[in-house]
Amino acid sequence: MKNLLKYLKKYWFSALLAAGFMVAEVYVDLYQPRMMQRIVDEGILGVSSGGVSNLDLVVSTGVRMLLVVIAGGLCGIGSGLFANITGQNYGNDIRKACFEKIMHLSFEQTDRFSTGSLITRITNDVTQLQQLVMQMIRGFVRCLMFFVGGTAALVSLDLSFGAIVACAFPLILIDIIFVVWRTNPLFTVLQESLDRLNGVIQENVAGIRVVKAFVQEKREQERFGEANRQLVDTQFNVQVMLSFLRPVMNIVLNLAVVGILYVGSVQVRQGSVAPGMVMAAITYISQILNGMMMLAMIFQTLSRGMASARRLGEVLDTGAAIVRDGTLSPAADGQKGSVSFRGVCFAYAANGRNVLHDINLDIASGETLAIIGSTGCGKTTLVNLIPRFYDVTAGQVLVDGTDVRAWEPEALREKVTICLQKSELFSTTIRDNIALGRPDATQAEIEEAAKAAQADGFIRQQPQGYDTPVAERGMSLSGGQRQRVAIARALLKRGEILIFDDSTSALDLKTEAKLYEALSRSYADVTKIIIAQRIASVQNADRIVVLDGGTIAACGTHRELMAASPIYRDIYDSQLREEATA
Amino acid sequence: MSGSVQSRAAQQGFGRRGPNLGAPTEKPRAGRQTLRRLLGYFRPERKYVIYLAFSVVLAVSAGVIAPRLQSSVIDDLVARDFSAIPPLLGMMLCVYIINGIATLLQGFLSARLGQRVIFRLRAELFGKVINLPIPYLDNHSHGDLMSRMTNDAENVSNVISSSLSSLFSGVLTLVGTVIMMLSYSVRLTLLTCVTVVLSLIVTNVLSRLMRRYYLSRQVLLGQLNGIVEEKVSAGKTVAAYNLQEATIRDFAATSDALTRAGIIADVIGNAMGPLMNMINNLSFVIVAAFGAWFALRGMISVGVISAFIIYSKQFSRPINELAQLYGQIQTAVAGAERIFSVLDEESEDKSGDNALPVHEGIIEFKHVNFSYVPGKQVIYDFNLRVEAGKKIALVGSTGSGKTTVVNLLMRFYELDSGSITVDGVDIRDISCDVLRDAVGIVLQDSVLFTDTVRSNLKYADRTISDKKMIEAAESSNCDKVVAALPDGYDTVLTAAGASLSQGQRQLLTIGRAFLSYPKILILDEATSSVDTRTEKHIQNAMIKLMKDRTSLIIAHRLSTIRDADEIVVMEQGHIIETGTHEELLNRKGDYYRLYMTQFAGQET
Repeated sequence: MKNLLKYLKKYWFSALLAAGFMVAEVYVDLYQPRMMQRIVDEGILGVSSGGVSNLDLVVSTGVRMLLVVIAGGLCGIGSGLFANITGQNYGNDIRKACFEKIMHLSFEQTDRFSTGSLITRITNDVTQLQQLVMQMIRGFVRCLMFFVGGTAALVSLDLSFGAIVACAFPLILIDIIFVVWRTNPLFTVLQESLDRLNGVIQENVAGIRVVKAFVQEKREQERFGEANRQLVDTQFNVQVMLSFLRPVMNIVLNLAVVGILYVGSVQVRQGSVAPGMVMAAITYISQILNGMMMLAMIFQTLSRGMASARRLGEVLDTGAAIVRDGTLSPAADGQKGSVSFRGVCFAYAANGRNVLHDINLDIASGETLAIIGSTGCGKTTLVNLIPRFYDVTAGQVLVDGTDVRAWEPEALREKVTICLQKSELFSTTIRDNIALGRPDATQAEIEEAAKAAQADGFIRQQPQGYDTPVAERGMSLSGGQRQRVAIARALLKRGEILIFDDSTSALDLKTEAKLYEALSRSYADVTKIIIAQRIASVQNADRIVVLDGGTIAACGTHRELMAASPIYRDIYDSQLREEATA
Repeated sequence: MSGSVQSRAAQQGFGRRGPNLGAPTEKPRAGRQTLRRLLGYFRPERKYVIYLAFSVVLAVSAGVIAPRLQSSVIDDLVARDFSAIPPLLGMMLCVYIINGIATLLQGFLSARLGQRVIFRLRAELFGKVINLPIPYLDNHSHGDLMSRMTNDAENVSNVISSSLSSLFSGVLTLVGTVIMMLSYSVRLTLLTCVTVVLSLIVTNVLSRLMRRYYLSRQVLLGQLNGIVEEKVSAGKTVAAYNLQEATIRDFAATSDALTRAGIIADVIGNAMGPLMNMINNLSFVIVAAFGAWFALRGMISVGVISAFIIYSKQFSRPINELAQLYGQIQTAVAGAERIFSVLDEESEDKSGDNALPVHEGIIEFKHVNFSYVPGKQVIYDFNLRVEAGKKIALVGSTGSGKTTVVNLLMRFYELDSGSITVDGVDIRDISCDVLRDAVGIVLQDSVLFTDTVRSNLKYADRTISDKKMIEAAESSNCDKVVAALPDGYDTVLTAAGASLSQGQRQLLTIGRAFLSYPKILILDEATSSVDTRTEKHIQNAMIKLMKDRTSLIIAHRLSTIRDADEIVVMEQGHIIETGTHEELLNRKGDYYRLYMTQFAGQET
């Protein structure tokens, strides 16, 4: 929270100007009933000149009022200008700071926040906070001025008018507090019901085939109906609560007007007050109470804005779980592409259960190492430790003989290229997606990588070839095509260590075989770590690691493992039956 | 009753498919028609509409009469006729209380009315979307559809619940106030109207300016959201390619541009308030100065000035509001238009005889031709007969049309020519519901729902006993997944099972298909993310389960399909080979080549 205020410091001057202009604008509004009172009492009724009216005074005061009004309008615009400069720049700074923070969060932290929530924070919540700042600068000052200034002006007309405001004030306060107190918790419920409704819609749109295949349209409609009902009911409750605000305030306000008229009539009879003053008092009282009404709105923005501020604060205050203080950059003559695991243990902070136990493994430069094992045995986690997506719980991961934590993160990720299980493409052209790691690559280099990844063929068949835009996260391409673009991207980067995290699962066997052939031909000096499900994908590797329950169950060549590892044989058998081997 | 509205609206038959062709300025195309149709949704709520109108009339009349009373009090003050004041004050008190209560009622009724209408509109839209044919959902961005159901419905809801009653009361107040003002002084009324013209001009100029900048801001905001969405969800790729700093720079540049555009847009937008305030004050000046001048001539009384001050405020407020409402209503009508364009889509044709349950499960494809997009055929003269209880495997490279064949059997798409029969009956003559009930399918994407594991497994039929569910979970091997969850079968899968691994999700979807006890089972890459040993366990169970069931299996792994009674090898929409595993191996054709790549080097 404190963190967020810090960002405001930079804009103190424009904030001050915005507030100043707002004070001037309100002052003009407050000054006017005074001038009107002069017109009525002195100009028309001639109260102080014994009933002689004064047309010149009416005209000159009228002209003065006009000038004052124009000045007030300009002040208002000025206040808006500076409030926007303050608020939007402030929001911009926070938005950028948050994004930078998010980019440097560890993946464990990103998982904990959930991507969706991070996105809403950086978009919606920043806007809410920005609104809050502007509201506070302008609205708050405005209300306060109307309230304080209006009361002062009213009391200066006649003390008894002040007494009426003093009576009305607590009633209005009670109304505001009641409504705010009742609606605030409802806003949270409202947000939840909205999330729930959106969730149902999202699931159904995405999973429409399943819904249809199981003939569950009716049930989904019921489920949606429930969410819809809940949302509508909550919305209704909020609106009803809010609709109490205005009428109750209006009643109080108008009662005060009646009170002023009554007290005024008594005073006028006594001769201590002129009729124009009663008129001015009525205007003041509506200004004061309108100011309070605005205050109620501000409270709402405040409570919503504070929730957003808290959510943003959570992001900004998150300490980087991965300390990026490694400084080592690669030496020109150093070894290239070796990886070692020394007693590595790893547990995700979320559940604390060890996913990897005491992993010891040395991978030599240029070696092709395959990892095989059942779902959830820790294969992906193991390779994610190499580019330091996560930090080990115990032990060490060494790249080229140096602990990954000692490497400068950028230098480390320059060496290590990982091709992920889920191929994430960006909405630019296919070319730019391939050249992601090396924007300066030539067309020839891009095509070479694409050919090796078996992607060149289908890319050329696209309407604009390499310049075809990839729509909506690659949804215009099939799963296998997406994977091949991602592989081409990884190959083009020419890292010293190349990791394939089950990234050929959507390729058919022919294509996959051609890919591996191209790999061993053109990328012989690169260390290759390949996670796969199929024996065929791994059996030509220099060594195969069989991972089971987070430990290395066996390690060796296909032949060795066939002889020594029952798990490997079991996997093999599950893919190839005895009679086929014979 | 809502049905009649719906059919009436459908009969009007406007706005066929209207895909969102940009249309950035939120201007409805057929505004009047859409508005009329939207108003049609109020028909069943006649009762509420009448009550609301009544309360608005009450509130407005009280609001218009009150200043008149106040003016009389001021005149009495000036005339020093103090005895007339207390009864007038008493009347004022009553009028104000009536006004307060009527306003309260108005708020309550408009909230109820709005929520009732929007509930129906949303339910109708959802009912439509869920019954849309699959090709529609293929061809339209899901994000766009989502935004219609959320943003657009929300906009319409806001306008319906808040703006409509303010619109009504605004117009009434305007009329009432003008009548009152005219009854006092025609001249002063005309002078006050000067400010109205002025405020209309200002509103018009400003909103035109605003629209331009708001548009550019909207575009930038879209870009920014795009960057966040894409780069945050693809965090690992960004990190793996060292793109963090470049992405941050990219984001900062867009964010700065957005801020610049935002400041300009909002400064103009925020100028509206002070300018309107200025115009209001101007009318105050006009009333005070000219009123005084008229009063001195004896044309009006001082009380009239007091009344005019209130009336001119009362008068300008609805005008400002109406100007704002106009924009809101336009946005809402544009939203409603997009909603209606979905509602006007043809629903999926599910027709067919309901009394034709599938008995044995003989599937026959006869000369089936199919293309998703006209001119780009994907299935060519596909002929295949699957005997009851047989297991057929579809094999082929990516894009060879395997999934399409399965989709056609589910009646997700209409054939170009040819026919598919189940037990000798054309599937077009079987109702979709009956057909799909008889077919269990496990899809490539493992879709789960945000609900308990139990509800997810019993998705096909909630009435299935827990005992049967546990049996099916055991035979599909997903009991191990469930056992690892904190609350077992009662664990609520958050975010549609995002916390589970791909393999775990596939196991659950397989369990779900088991529990639907289908006559025909389709597995489309159902086990691609399950490791082969687990898959083998599932297969063993499946063999048991598939005993009397016709099944179609699509897989890349030959190990998955080797046991099939017949293997169909597909290439670019054609069947190129069929036969059993052994037959095809002996033939040394395409299947043989596929097989050899899978186990290359194994003979040596």
